[in-house]
Amino acid sequence: MSSKNIIEIEGLHKSYSDHKALDNINLSIGESKIFGLLGPNGAGKTTLIRIINQILQPDQGVVRFAGELLSRKHIHSIGYLPEERGLYKKMKVGEQALYLAQLKGLSKKDAKQKLNYWFEKLGADNWWNKKVEDLSKGMAQKIQFITTVLHEPKVLILDEPLSGLDPVNSLLIKNEILELKKNNTSIILSTHDMNSVEEICDEVAIINNSKKILQGSITEIKKNYEENLWTILYRGNQMNFTNAVWGGWELINHKTINDSINKAEIKLLNDFTINKFIKGIVDHVEILEINKKTPSISDVFIKATTDE
Amino acid sequence: MNKIGLIISREYLTRVKKKSFILMSFLGPLLIFGFVLLTAYLSKGNKEKYEILVVDESHLFDSILRNSDKYHLQWAPKNKDYKEVQDIFKKDDQLDLLVYLPINLIKTNSMTAKCLYKEIPSTGVQKHLSSIINEAIELYRVSFNKIDISTYKSIKTKINLDVVDIENKANRNIQRKAFVGIAFAMFIYAFIFLYSVQVMRGVIEEKSNRIVEIIISSVSTFELMMAKIIGVGLVGITQFIIWTIVTMIMSVTILPFLIQDSYNPSLQMNSNKLLENNFKIDPNNEAIQFIINDIQWSYLILFFILFFLGGYFLYSGLMAAIGAAVDEEADTQQFLLPLTIPMVFAILMSSKVIDEPSSSLAFWLSEIPFTSPIIMIVRIAMGIGDSSVEIWEIVLSLFLLVITFVGTTWLSGKIYRKGILSYGKKASYSDLFKWLKN
Repeated sequence: MSSKNIIEIEGLHKSYSDHKALDNINLSIGESKIFGLLGPNGAGKTTLIRIINQILQPDQGVVRFAGELLSRKHIHSIGYLPEERGLYKKMKVGEQALYLAQLKGLSKKDAKQKLNYWFEKLGADNWWNKKVEDLSKGMAQKIQFITTVLHEPKVLILDEPLSGLDPVNSLLIKNEILELKKNNTSIILSTHDMNSVEEICDEVAIINNSKKILQGSITEIKKNYEENLWTILYRGNQMNFTNAVWGGWELINHKTINDSINKAEIKLLNDFTINKFIKGIVDHVEILEINKKTPSISDVFIKATTDE
Repeated sequence: MNKIGLIISREYLTRVKKKSFILMSFLGPLLIFGFVLLTAYLSKGNKEKYEILVVDESHLFDSILRNSDKYHLQWAPKNKDYKEVQDIFKKDDQLDLLVYLPINLIKTNSMTAKCLYKEIPSTGVQKHLSSIINEAIELYRVSFNKIDISTYKSIKTKINLDVVDIENKANRNIQRKAFVGIAFAMFIYAFIFLYSVQVMRGVIEEKSNRIVEIIISSVSTFELMMAKIIGVGLVGITQFIIWTIVTMIMSVTILPFLIQDSYNPSLQMNSNKLLENNFKIDPNNEAIQFIINDIQWSYLILFFILFFLGGYFLYSGLMAAIGAAVDEEADTQQFLLPLTIPMVFAILMSSKVIDEPSSSLAFWLSEIPFTSPIIMIVRIAMGIGDSSVEIWEIVLSLFLLVITFVGTTWLSGKIYRKGILSYGKKASYSDLFKWLKN
């Protein structure tokens, strides 16, 4: 995989009259990667997206697009799917898709051709003359998705692309996103849906209170937030389990599954190893299963944003 | 097509394709038509002949009250009192009015005569009755005071005031022209208001569905705002032109039939002949003739379009700023009020302007941009020239209007640029000022 970056952000500052929206943001977004942009509401994600879209100008700092300074000519290389409906309700689907495609610089003829391809691909062939207000949320989301990717942008910015979709449509869009990635599109995914972040993102950054507090690959980040937590399933007496080893660990949670089967969650302290712990308990209880507990992205998010 | 052209054409086409637009294109002229017919009908006077029953308590009027073909007087039986006569009046369908002259009427000036009706008589009829009663009383007093009747006649005057413009002797009917002016003032008010509100709604829609963020990454916010204003303005002009054409077609095709049927059965000519006659449909119907011949329609339509555009650009820029400042239409009230006040004020003042179309009040209201589109149209309808408005006043007014809308649009653009991207917080006036300053 190439390690080239499609977007590089250096020392980005943006303030509004009453507050700071972005404070010294540095980010690099890899080519053909899915990049999760996470953060609580009001953290500054929208401002960052607007700067990349050139709707807003930063007060300080630079954004580079494929090595060049970001400029008007890059507009056509970026596709943006805003949160919310993002379509004219009263307009017909086809007219609207053509309109948006032309705004992105496609000719009418090209746009029509590409629309036919996409409409067929996503099973929207006979919606051309429907009004957007007559479409279901899922259908509208598909149309919006099509209008975003139609001009084949190098970078796609998707703001909550899966919200409100049923599992079938959600899977459909997820697969499309993965396919776009395969075809060398870089994707910035802004979402609160941590499950899909874990599923499809290669890298994430968390922004909180206008600062970037974390960036890295999913596995890296999870590793950094690991706390040496283990879950142990055993058969035996709880007293025997807890008294078997003295010191070096903490019982975080304990649950009796049935008569003699228990599940314990423990945290190993300092350099106390799981081997030592097993040695200690192995004569007192029967070990059925041992698992290392890795934090979910959701856990990381909560920890990172509340520790601040 | 460039992107701004693309936006203008979208704004235009989505609106003119709407069913409501097509419906209004025909409903509008129908309303205008109804209005014209109503004017004609009201000005005609409603009855050919009035049967009037007179109760004369003093028995002094029968010889002196003037009788005529149109106003035929019958005397109530002398042995019946006023109450009983009312019963007779009620039961007799032939009788239209009952005039009651109390006993002391002829001797004092403090009594009131009464006129009871089944259907309210027009003001013309009321005036006639009042004048023949006054005349009778005067005649009675002339002979009672032994004044020579010829002396009385030489004293008694009956003068009509003919109000004529010195420059343009044909320029009469100023009051009626004012009526047309008021109608046009209402139209221009409605057009400016309706179409600038459409701009506001369009802005709110784009803001609330976030599509604006896609568009303004391709064009600047100011370009988007102007494209929207131009697109919607073109819809307004299209609507007006359709109205004018449809009204003209209706005048040629429908009006003759309506006039024949309901007003003058004696004029049973076919519509082709009417056309040849240059619309002189019914020589007896002054109102119709006046509307067709006396108003300077070409000027009125030309200036309507110019002042509509001026007023529309002025108000729609501000409306766009309001639309950008709010998240939903319900929040617009506080900002809309100060915008509607000058227009409503202009409508209210238009009656004063009609009274004195060349007064300084009329001048200033027709020059100050926020009221000028409405007031100037009223003055133009009353005739271009000395009596109402001079051409330089119109040119100056248009010039001021253009300067002002360039200024307000520039300011609106600043508010629009900031407002369109701010969500969630309800904007206040202080926010707007803050956005203006940045």
